[in-house]
Amino acid sequence: MSQYWPFIIIGLFTGSIYGLAAMGVVLTYKTVGVFNFAYGAIAMFCAFTYWQLHDSWGLTAWVAMPILFLVVAPLLGVALEALYRPLAGLSAEVLIVVSVGVLAALGAVVPIIYGKQDRTLQPIFPTSTFALGSHFHVGYDQLGTLVISLAVAALLWALLRHTRFGTSTRAAVDNPDLADMVGVHGDNVRRSAWILSVMFAALVGILISPTQGLDVNQLVLVVIYAFAPAVFGRLVSLPLAYIGALVLGVVVSLLSKYANSGTVANLEAAVPYLALFALLIIMGGRLKEAGASSRRLSVSTRSGGGSGGAGAVRARHWVVGVLGWRLRLDRSLALGLVGFALALFIPLAVPGPRLIDITFAVVYGLVALTLVVLTGWAGQISLAQFAFVGVGAFTAGHLSGSHGQHFLLAVLVAMLVAAPLGILVGLPSLRLSGLYLALATLAFALIMDNVVFNRGDVSGGLTGITVPRPKIFGLSFTGRASLYELALVVFGVVAVAAYAIRLGPIGRRLQIVRDSPLAASTLGVNLTVTKLVVFAVCGMVAALGGTFYGALQQAVTPFDFMWSTSLTLLLLVVLGGRSLISGALIAGAVYGVEQLPIPASVNQYFPLAIALGVIALAQEPEGTVALARREARRVMTVLRPLPRRSVGGGHQIPMTSGPDVAVAAGSSPMGSGHGH
Amino acid sequence: MATETGWEEPVLRATDITMRFGGLIALDDVSLEVPAGRIVGLIGPNGAGKTTMFNVLTGLQEPTRGRVDYLGDNISRWPPHRRGRAGIARTFQRLALFSRLSVHDNLVASWESSHPGAVLGRNRAKRIERVAEVMGLLDLWPVADRMAGELSTGKGRMVELGRALCTDPRVLLLDEPGSGLDANETAAFSAVLRAVVSDGGDRHPDVAPPAILMVEHDMALVMDVCSSLTVLDFGRVIARGTPSQVRADANVRAAYLGDASAV
Repeated sequence: MSQYWPFIIIGLFTGSIYGLAAMGVVLTYKTVGVFNFAYGAIAMFCAFTYWQLHDSWGLTAWVAMPILFLVVAPLLGVALEALYRPLAGLSAEVLIVVSVGVLAALGAVVPIIYGKQDRTLQPIFPTSTFALGSHFHVGYDQLGTLVISLAVAALLWALLRHTRFGTSTRAAVDNPDLADMVGVHGDNVRRSAWILSVMFAALVGILISPTQGLDVNQLVLVVIYAFAPAVFGRLVSLPLAYIGALVLGVVVSLLSKYANSGTVANLEAAVPYLALFALLIIMGGRLKEAGASSRRLSVSTRSGGGSGGAGAVRARHWVVGVLGWRLRLDRSLALGLVGFALALFIPLAVPGPRLIDITFAVVYGLVALTLVVLTGWAGQISLAQFAFVGVGAFTAGHLSGSHGQHFLLAVLVAMLVAAPLGILVGLPSLRLSGLYLALATLAFALIMDNVVFNRGDVSGGLTGITVPRPKIFGLSFTGRASLYELALVVFGVVAVAAYAIRLGPIGRRLQIVRDSPLAASTLGVNLTVTKLVVFAVCGMVAALGGTFYGALQQAVTPFDFMWSTSLTLLLLVVLGGRSLISGALIAGAVYGVEQLPIPASVNQYFPLAIALGVIALAQEPEGTVALARREARRVMTVLRPLPRRSVGGGHQIPMTSGPDVAVAAGSSPMGSGHGH
Repeated sequence: MATETGWEEPVLRATDITMRFGGLIALDDVSLEVPAGRIVGLIGPNGAGKTTMFNVLTGLQEPTRGRVDYLGDNISRWPPHRRGRAGIARTFQRLALFSRLSVHDNLVASWESSHPGAVLGRNRAKRIERVAEVMGLLDLWPVADRMAGELSTGKGRMVELGRALCTDPRVLLLDEPGSGLDANETAAFSAVLRAVVSDGGDRHPDVAPPAILMVEHDMALVMDVCSSLTVLDFGRVIARGTPSQVRADANVRAAYLGDASAV
């Protein structure tokens, strides 16, 4: 037994830090309704700030701590509250996007402010040890951390349980309007909750960085460990979240004892993600989302023009019905086709190395398209889409590379491997939606990253595997131009297929499952099949993108498909416009621009600009396209000649004639209005 | 067959449905039958369990106990979509329109959802015909291209009814179809309901007109169209019978007076 104690102690030590993080995450979720994906980034930002104050500027802890906890953390908390205030009551999708945007923004800001190199943070407690019993030693830092964590956790619990702040919090969450009426200031409560939450993050940052290293990515990842305990507490129970974190810490630590023995190698790193995925599936329907969103995304209400009488409308619908889908050779399809035709000639104008970047942009656009269909159309949030790219790249890479198989066979197998994985990621969507689905997909991405892609026999280890350029029926696509044309054609075919599907029965099916799943199911839609098929198909197409990714790079490594690449994909798709095919293309283009050899001094601002753009456009399903459209309309209005002032105070557009008026106008009794 | 009201098997029958939520008993041994070609009313004060009953009948909620039979099959374990495909259609008390589709596409999507293979483009001609028929029956052509999300409640209820009719239902469950309708709309609506159950207008000969079970607070509408009523209060059946019998029932008066005095 005694051999386990050191691992239990270490587990309690790290677990108690995760416990703080879990409580911080739960706190904002239960008080503000925001699940903070950026929590680790906030902890990281605070840890870097502390490093600057303490280690770099040489301030003593007695000065640096108060600055961090009483100045920096509150300011950040106030800023976050102000950011989220206008988003209250919006769909989980918007809140997730904003929170991932904040994560990216902080991740981009820290290297700009503090520089890129890794550093170590001095521990705040002495690292010397004392003997406990005869067999093992406990570090003062471990003991100190455990004591502080328990004390602070108990304090927060007591604060919420036994003070006026606690009752106000509950009131403000349960019924904001009513709370306002009885004198609870919702804004104050929410601001306090944010400040407390950031303080917890700061504590997590400075407690954990000395052992985990102070690094932009590491801390973000470590804090995701706390998501499983937070879910264990159903995102509302602080004590359960804390206890869950302690248990998780001990389990991971005990597993690390066997970490070096073969089959379970590296498994302990994935345990928190496996736990997250399993908890979400097991707890399923019992998980409720806070602040059930009453407000909706701005519904794009571009109805067809009301021209023509009922007879004309009827005739048009008949034509449309017979043709199968609205063969709207509208501006977007026309523009797309013209753009495609022009894009075919790009190799004539662009030098080789840049052509590779553009091909990457096209392939990225193909992957982005799967997220448009999945998230923008079907309303299923996925934070794991790049895992499928990885599956495709490695599967096809092995087959066409070391096994020397035909490229097309490799593509086919890669897509077939991706399909069941797509169904696996889709499984949580049968019982979960919104936030919990996003968390489940995030867990899946992390599991793939840590358990599958890290295996030497899958990915070839750190050096990766080499992939040959494709040969199809004697045609060789080894040249840059030919590979570009192939990728472009594949993208074009998929995009046109998506466009056609969007306007036909399948597009309608996706839309109704998104608008009202209950109504759809009572009409006869099998939600299970619909969702799983969408996840599977999107996974397959992403894997198709992966096969090109590998062929293009001529090598793939595990680093190409790290979990965070899926988050970046989501950000770029939101930026481009998550409900539009052109949005996927814009996402690809932005990705392509990022690959260009721009000086680092300029390039470092790029991710920040993207993150801020995403935060600003999170509520806009058509992203930058909507922005561009709005701006264009404004310019057109400004340029239009002034209308002559009419006598009656300007003419209103007679659009407001409401449905009731329309009924009154055209109503003979309804029962007799049928018949051809 | 089903058009004959004297048919002994009801289209839909619920037997001893009990539904508990923790300590709360939402439905307590409730049974009811919906005969073919009839409009049956399910009434009762707010919170009596009417919508829960609909959820049980359509499979959205699984009852603690009890069984549901439909056209001779025990469908208690059927998922909602299977019941929908078999011909049980419903509308929702709180509108559940496909708000980002046009009115016409709401109906089209409904037809496609309820007919096998339609999502892959099968039977398009039938779809066009049926959707046009329902659009006409409910006078929806003037708003055909409007987004469903921007309609008034009254029109929205018509779209939900149209959506339900497009599934070619054998039984139609209407959850407070009259709320949010003005007097003219209500009058037109009861005419539509009668048309639906009597001959259904230019219906396909192979589709029998549906029976209707409706939850409704508008007593004038209920008394006007329903041939029999079941009254729920606190999850229990407190009365059954023809509208006039129910109107005279002492229990019903007590329940409704209690309800009215609270308002």
